[in-house]
Amino acid sequence: MKMIWAIIRPEYSQKVIDALEKIGISAMTRLHVTGHGAEIGITANYSEIPKEMLMLVLPDIDVARAVKIISTVAKTWQKENPRHGAVGDGKIFVTYVDDAYTIRTADVRKTDSGLPAKTGTAL
Amino acid sequence: MKKIIAIIRNEKVEETKYALKNLGVSGLTFLHVTGRGSSKSSFLRDKKNPYTIKGILQRQNPDTLLTEKEQELGFLPKRMLIIVANDNDVIPIIDTLITTNQTGHHGDGKIFVCPMISAIRVRNGEQGDRALI
Repeated sequence: MKMIWAIIRPEYSQKVIDALEKIGISAMTRLHVTGHGAEIGITANYSEIPKEMLMLVLPDIDVARAVKIISTVAKTWQKENPRHGAVGDGKIFVTYVDDAYTIRTADVRKTDSGLPAKTGTAL
Repeated sequence: MKKIIAIIRNEKVEETKYALKNLGVSGLTFLHVTGRGSSKSSFLRDKKNPYTIKGILQRQNPDTLLTEKEQELGFLPKRMLIIVANDNDVIPIIDTLITTNQTGHHGDGKIFVCPMISAIRVRNGEQGDRALI
């Protein structure tokens, strides 16, 4: 089980959510965040650029697919450089998750125990 | 050291804070988030569910008002709670979170436990477990 934190442009979040839904990943959390990486504003040096953060927890099998979808859909299309996006398109971070609990049923999905995490009620 | 990320109902925040205070948890971070589960909030169409979409939207924070598109997609306002705790404290914290937040209806939330390498107190630079006390 892995946790994905994706920081993307707010104007692309809807497209990313729709694209993830198409491959069957609909459970996610959205946060409005501000910050900056290499992009510090176009007209002025501005360090708090609004971005959208998506948090997803997925079984290991789905992680590569989800990362690929996010990284292709959230990329800005550029005429002069079609293979690369623009500065400020965002980042994707992937971290480990030990356990996931469903509060309603107190179910546990463990990956420490060696059992494969199923796409069941917990995810 | 573990990081506990819990996504809970807005109505249960005060109760959760009180329960965690009694347990001796000192450090808490709450975030306003919107989110949905794998059922895409379709449970709200169930008439037996006491948590109606109207009620949820009435109680939501004015800072994070949902757009119509978000409501259509089933994104509902929730609160994300982040606690960093020692390995021994994780199980009691999770038990408390489950007992205080469990209503038995869809939308109660999830708890994720992630590994954490270190913590540093900004005030005096203490590291590791000492930074959590």
